[in-house]
Amino acid sequence: MHARSRALALLIVFAFGLGPLAPAVFAEEKASELENLKKQMLQMEEQFRQLQRQIEKLETKKIQEVEAKANAALEASKKTFVSQFNPAISLGIDTIGSYKSNAQGFNPGNGPQAGARINNARPAGADFNLRSAELFISADVDPFARAYATINASADAANNDEATLSVEEAAIVTTRLPYNLTIRGGRFFADFGTLVHRHDHDLPFVDRPPSLDVLVGGEGQTNGVEVSWLAPTPFFLRASATVGNKFGSDFRDGVSNLNSRPIKGLTYLGRLQTYFDINDDNNVELGGSIAEAPSAEDVMHTGRFERRLVGMDFKYRWYPLGYGVRQSLTVAGELLHDVGDADPLNGGPRRDVLGNPVRQGAWGGYVYAEYRLSKQWRPGVRFDYFQLQSEPLLVTNPFTGLPASTLNATGHRTDNRTWTAYLTWFPSEFQRLRLQYNRSDRGNAQDANEFFLQWTAFLGSHSHGFSERE
Amino acid sequence: MTLVWRNRLWALAFALALVSSGMARAEEKIYVVTTLPDLADIAARIGGDLVTVESLAKGIEDPHGVPIKPSFLPKLNRAQVVVVMGLEYEHSWIPALLSEARNSKIMKGNIGYIDVSLKVTPKEVPTDLSRAKGELHPAGNPHFNLDPEGGRLIAQTIAEGLALNFPQHRATFEANLKAFLAQLDAKIQEWKVMARPLRGVKFVSYHQDFTYFADRFGMEYVGTIELKPGIEPTAAHLVELVQNMKTEGVKVVIREPHFSEKVPTQIAAQVGGQVVKLPIMVGGVPEVKTYLDLIEYNLRTLLKAAQAAGVTGKV
Repeated sequence: MHARSRALALLIVFAFGLGPLAPAVFAEEKASELENLKKQMLQMEEQFRQLQRQIEKLETKKIQEVEAKANAALEASKKTFVSQFNPAISLGIDTIGSYKSNAQGFNPGNGPQAGARINNARPAGADFNLRSAELFISADVDPFARAYATINASADAANNDEATLSVEEAAIVTTRLPYNLTIRGGRFFADFGTLVHRHDHDLPFVDRPPSLDVLVGGEGQTNGVEVSWLAPTPFFLRASATVGNKFGSDFRDGVSNLNSRPIKGLTYLGRLQTYFDINDDNNVELGGSIAEAPSAEDVMHTGRFERRLVGMDFKYRWYPLGYGVRQSLTVAGELLHDVGDADPLNGGPRRDVLGNPVRQGAWGGYVYAEYRLSKQWRPGVRFDYFQLQSEPLLVTNPFTGLPASTLNATGHRTDNRTWTAYLTWFPSEFQRLRLQYNRSDRGNAQDANEFFLQWTAFLGSHSHGFSERE
Repeated sequence: MTLVWRNRLWALAFALALVSSGMARAEEKIYVVTTLPDLADIAARIGGDLVTVESLAKGIEDPHGVPIKPSFLPKLNRAQVVVVMGLEYEHSWIPALLSEARNSKIMKGNIGYIDVSLKVTPKEVPTDLSRAKGELHPAGNPHFNLDPEGGRLIAQTIAEGLALNFPQHRATFEANLKAFLAQLDAKIQEWKVMARPLRGVKFVSYHQDFTYFADRFGMEYVGTIELKPGIEPTAAHLVELVQNMKTEGVKVVIREPHFSEKVPTQIAAQVGGQVVKLPIMVGGVPEVKTYLDLIEYNLRTLLKAAQAAGVTGKV
């Protein structure tokens, strides 16, 4: 552009006959060209410097970005480094407000303790109950074992509602045994049925099904050793065998320091369970359990008795893979049969015409259905039924002069039916509110209506183990 | 005589048993169990004919909420290696299963446990761990499989993991890895060009799972429908989100297949935008059968949606 205009100027100068002026113009031209070149060089230098600065800036920015990323990762890991050997800890807080028209647990029989309150830690009427503040701790012990403990404090109505501390579970579990075997030892909730080994706050309802409360005695706690085996089959098959001091937190089999205990005085448990996928969205789980104590010590009364409890459980689940998290159905239940000796004071055993005790067995169980309406809302219904072993009204047989049994006052076996409806709301995975209504028909004792509002929260690492799976 | 015959029979049976067991061993493939289908697809590419691969979860599931099915246990019990995403992606189900599977080889920390997040630089690592921030992933966002460069790291880690467990097949795994990466690299070049119109496109999604994808292709994450990770939205949060989308000019709403379409449709309508259903794993929609399909499908579907919403950037 410049060169062309300069040439044009020269042409014009010559054309107008101003030849003599040309050399001067040339000299001037050379000087200005040099000046221009100098300017251009300076400009280029400046540009070069700017580019260099930009490169440096980009480089530091990149480094800063990487540093920021690394620092964030380091920061996060630092927090856990110091506590890496600490076990995983969680605290569950389970609090319940309730109104009960009658005491929750009671003895519906006709024996000398009929109407007495049993299995009943809380008062009738209006009540607020801190059912549990439960600390759960777990970690690997070494390459061969892991261990866990559940330490619970629950408000004790018999002690002015002061929270009493108890070790619910504290057990060691092997992790490297061959032949698909695992051994667990210590105090733990024995492998029997499905809801028996759940902690109260992990149940799908506010209360434990009454049949389990009566026939098992609350949570299925034992002190002992368990061996479990996963069959090397293409489908799920698991078996376990347990020997322990007792079975059930509140049951009358137990241990005292007064008497020597025979091997037969221990409780032996066994369980077999399996599972089938009907298809991707539907599955069924089945199990059978037995608890046998040939000569258990009756810690509530005196003497020894045989305890034999068998159970069957099932669980059907419709959980569509694509949207089961927000829409699914669970139908599950357990059926128990107690064929052991009856509680002597709680009505005593049935007697034949000759006054000899007869084992009549008692059935019990529950079934529930829960529907997930969304990630947050789950309504459900439950029905529970149980009979008591020891029901008879003892009379004197006029012919033999010996004690004998009659039907009870209503002419039926003493049993208990409870209908339940509940609704659970999960604001998140770690918090839950549950509203529940129970209607109980209790043999020949007073019927009861119960309302509960439960609020539960979990702090810390609350991950469910395999046996607590939904 | 009978004794001799019996001996011969025994010898025959023994020989047969030896031969059959030898044959069985020769035919036996390495049994690889993966948590997610993306890992299964890539592991099958790396392992080739040497492996049988099975994924526990299916592509349509919520990867954070896979039900703990007892039928997974026999698989994990027999598995010679298990491949997991890591970064606590599967924290709600895989630890419980592994602790019950009675297979110490594949327990975390042993060589049979292949964690494919090891080479990944995690994004969104929380500096403050509190449940008030929802169901956080303490080690960072685990959805790196949606970035094809993440796929490269996954393939490399699987190849190294398999070679560590079966050193006799190292050469095969390395050759298979090379072939896979060559294909992936060619695709990545193609995708980079294809994704140019997505540069600067703003979007929201139900869950915070498109971070790595968005960063790779220059898209801008504006927010999530979830209040916090794993926490369902509140009404106030949705009002705020829609307001924010209007200010920012967001027209693209991503819905992952396992979330309900109700809320995404509602908020898209409020901003006059498009809902786009994007799988976050192989098999999330029927068309996506391989890992390469997954990235390709997501890009193509997003492009279509962005064009329909009129928000594509300059090519």
